[in-house]
Amino acid sequence: MMTALYRAGIRPRLRNQETLLLALMGVALLAGWASLASQQAGRMTIGDPAIPGIYVGILFAIHVAFVLTGRRMDQVLLPVTGMLGSLSLLLMARLPQGLAGLSVGSLELGLAPLQLLWLSLALAVLAVLAVAVRNDNWLREYKYTWAAVGIGLLLLVFVLSPDTSGPRLSLQIGPIAGQPSELLKVILVVFLAGYLAENRTLLARTSTRIGPISLPPVPYLLPMVAMWGVALAIVIIQRDLGAALLFFTVFLTLLYVATRRFAYVVLGMAMFLGGAAILYQLFPLVRVRVDVWLDPWSDPLDTGFQIIHALYAFGRGGILGTGLGAGLPAVGDTPGDLPAIHTDFVYAALGEELGMLGALAIVALYAVIAERGLRIAARAADDFRALLATGLTLVIVIQAALIIGGNLKLVPLTGITLPFISYGGSSLLANAIVIGLLLALSDRGVEPPPPPTHARRFHLPLRSPA
Amino acid sequence: MTAGGGIVGGESAGGAGVAPSIGSALLRVGLALALIFGGIGAGLGYWQVVQAQSLSADPGNPLVQAAARNAPRGRILDASGEVVALNERGANGQRLRRYPYPAMTPVLGYQSLRFGTSGLERAFDAELTGLKPLGPGGDMMRKFLSDPYDPSDLHLSVDVRLQAAAAAALGDDRGSVVAIEPATGRVLALVSNPTFDANRLVDTAGGPAYLESLRDERSTPLLNRATQGLFVPGSVYKIVTATAALGSDAIEPGTTYPTDEEYEDGFRVDGFAINDSPRSFQRDHPLDFYEATEVSSNIYFAHAGLDAGAEEMLAWAERFGFGAPLDFDLPTAASQVTSGGGPLAGFSDRVELANAAYGQAETLVTPLQMALVAACVANDGVLMRPHLVDRLESESGRISTVGPSEVRTVMSGADAEVITRAMVAAVEGEFGQFFAGGAKVPGVTTAGKSGSAQLEEGRPHSWFIGFAPAEQPRIAIAVLVERAGFGSEVAVPMAGDLMSLYLGLGD
Repeated sequence: MMTALYRAGIRPRLRNQETLLLALMGVALLAGWASLASQQAGRMTIGDPAIPGIYVGILFAIHVAFVLTGRRMDQVLLPVTGMLGSLSLLLMARLPQGLAGLSVGSLELGLAPLQLLWLSLALAVLAVLAVAVRNDNWLREYKYTWAAVGIGLLLLVFVLSPDTSGPRLSLQIGPIAGQPSELLKVILVVFLAGYLAENRTLLARTSTRIGPISLPPVPYLLPMVAMWGVALAIVIIQRDLGAALLFFTVFLTLLYVATRRFAYVVLGMAMFLGGAAILYQLFPLVRVRVDVWLDPWSDPLDTGFQIIHALYAFGRGGILGTGLGAGLPAVGDTPGDLPAIHTDFVYAALGEELGMLGALAIVALYAVIAERGLRIAARAADDFRALLATGLTLVIVIQAALIIGGNLKLVPLTGITLPFISYGGSSLLANAIVIGLLLALSDRGVEPPPPPTHARRFHLPLRSPA
Repeated sequence: MTAGGGIVGGESAGGAGVAPSIGSALLRVGLALALIFGGIGAGLGYWQVVQAQSLSADPGNPLVQAAARNAPRGRILDASGEVVALNERGANGQRLRRYPYPAMTPVLGYQSLRFGTSGLERAFDAELTGLKPLGPGGDMMRKFLSDPYDPSDLHLSVDVRLQAAAAAALGDDRGSVVAIEPATGRVLALVSNPTFDANRLVDTAGGPAYLESLRDERSTPLLNRATQGLFVPGSVYKIVTATAALGSDAIEPGTTYPTDEEYEDGFRVDGFAINDSPRSFQRDHPLDFYEATEVSSNIYFAHAGLDAGAEEMLAWAERFGFGAPLDFDLPTAASQVTSGGGPLAGFSDRVELANAAYGQAETLVTPLQMALVAACVANDGVLMRPHLVDRLESESGRISTVGPSEVRTVMSGADAEVITRAMVAAVEGEFGQFFAGGAKVPGVTTAGKSGSAQLEEGRPHSWFIGFAPAEQPRIAIAVLVERAGFGSEVAVPMAGDLMSLYLGLGD
């Protein structure tokens, strides 16, 4: 086999750090699984090891594939992603299994097996992207095509989804249902990286002055205004505050990274706040979200119910937590004390059972993703790759911060998922694409970027040809 | 042209047409993210450490509600050890609360699976279920315990015999009785009439319909009159005015009012005439403080209040606890001297101030507040914090005691002695016995003050506040009977009977 690999030009390369971290992750998952099973059974047991066994097996299989293909990729991202997925499995196994269900023939899948299925698919996508993506032309050359795909997705939601008063998040085409905004965020980052890498020199220049603020030539401001419009459109069309907040934050941060102009951030925030003030007046959904955030106790049984119960969950957890499986749904008669506990409130549920120490550890995992992602960006071979890596890192980290902050009543609560922990296929797949691309970008053996082509457009000949 | 490979910290910005380095911007993004993570950590600390205790004891917390349904719950016992709240198994096997003494409802409230808790059942819910550890640091260890509950029994200062006698004395009348041990602030009885049968309310089948009928009832049985009912005090308020006037040196015990002309034509305050009821025995001389209290002269106290002034009248009332909810085991309404907003320190004019001085105008009080006024005078001018619970005893044997706690010294001991002497005259004096003589406890020197609070229409509220024995007070009492007539007719003899009963209990 080795010979076959060598003949194909592939040199296996050990990834010791990844091996060790994955092993630690596996031990943590199995220990957690045994702890949960013992709590539920009321005696010492390791429980049914099928689910954690399959999961750890898949991760090690991916690890072996990375080793055999000899990739020189980041060794921390896979174990960290795997750990977040482990926490997800532990939580899903512990929640009432009826929260989600799928029957395939005679096979009835509950919450935990379904999440394992989604995680497996997501990890497969992650592995394929990490190994197969050897050049980025298909991303960088077709940025406007990607933008069109994204806008098309958005329009599709508007046309196809039923008109409800709540958020229109899911798109159903035949038997396949999904949340397009999850995929949209990846497409958005690809477009922004391409656009900003091409135009950042111009955007960093100033020629327009409004009072103390210096701005670039007006035509180059248009994309920013367009992005602002897209963010508002997401709120209006999808009624999805979380996605809008996420997109706009990522956009402003990338704009800052590309231009180093803090005035953009200030201006963008002012525009967003202005837009938010208008939406607050026009849309009851926005108003309710903000009012509930400011004072959930003014309506504790209806609009404030979720956030108050999330805070109760944190309070019950305390410093050490109640232990896996010992949180409230086991105490009360009604399962699932928190509505949407498996999607919007996973962090509160884990905060209860793992305590402040566990909740801080989860934050630390996202912080590690942030550190690795920004490091990959800093080492990138050119602007496009640097901006792409930054944007990919930000969509995961900022999304996590928004929903964690929402659970903790630090920011208004929105319905976005906690990456790799919340239940749901769309979210897992989109975030797996993000990590897969980040891994590919981190590969030091990848093809070099094409030489810059855009410079000539602004190049004035020093001397006219004779 | 490109800033490719911009390593963190690299700077290439500056020249026209050259884009700034991406690396240094990334460093700042990293720092911003670190700040965000730090903020999340602070948020976790706030909710999971700082607020954890109060969140876990919040009545809305499903943990508390689950405990209400399943966990054992401490009993409640009165001062003599009689059980006044206990547990039973309902039809479905769930734990139900039972209350053997209906008269205890204003003190105990209820614990219902459907409607939650009220009264002491609410105030001490955490201790009764035992989820809240009595010692510090117990919270971290709870998850390692096989039984996380250590319910406590509540031992009350209330004596159910006095409580039941007071409720029986009120009978069908609306009203309230509050009795306090002056030296300690222990509440001996806290009655509000009419009240309701908490057993019927906590009953899972009939509870909701019963609650509906109670809400519709015109006699407002759900209102705890003792702590949250606000009533015109009438002449019992003169004790507060006396404290203000003596304390601010506006009068001395020997100060005399009114003049003969004032008595004949009424004391005119800016055109408003204040009159005393014509009584021939008063005429021959102007009254001093003791005589004025004995015969309850409105003119005397109007003078005293005006001479003390608006600020002093408010300040001294606030020392008794007026103007803010009282610090107590049950929720309380704030008693007031005036509705405020007027130019004269809140009073609209001197007429209102003069009327407030004998407990009319905008003055509104809770029976608990007036009982505290009597108890404070009885306790040499020192106000004690009123409390219903003497002691908590947990199942595992931990005991925590609620000792007497001093709120403040309201008045000097000398002033308290003067007022006590005047209140003894009001009950036992030659003329006083016509007003408050019915409150006399046989064989014991009794101090008191009756009141007939005039309302816009109908019969006055019948009031009495007082204490006995005057030398070594063991009980201070406030009795209010709504629209029952003059103080001397109803409240005064009721107070006398109840004080006699209580003083006889120990023997």
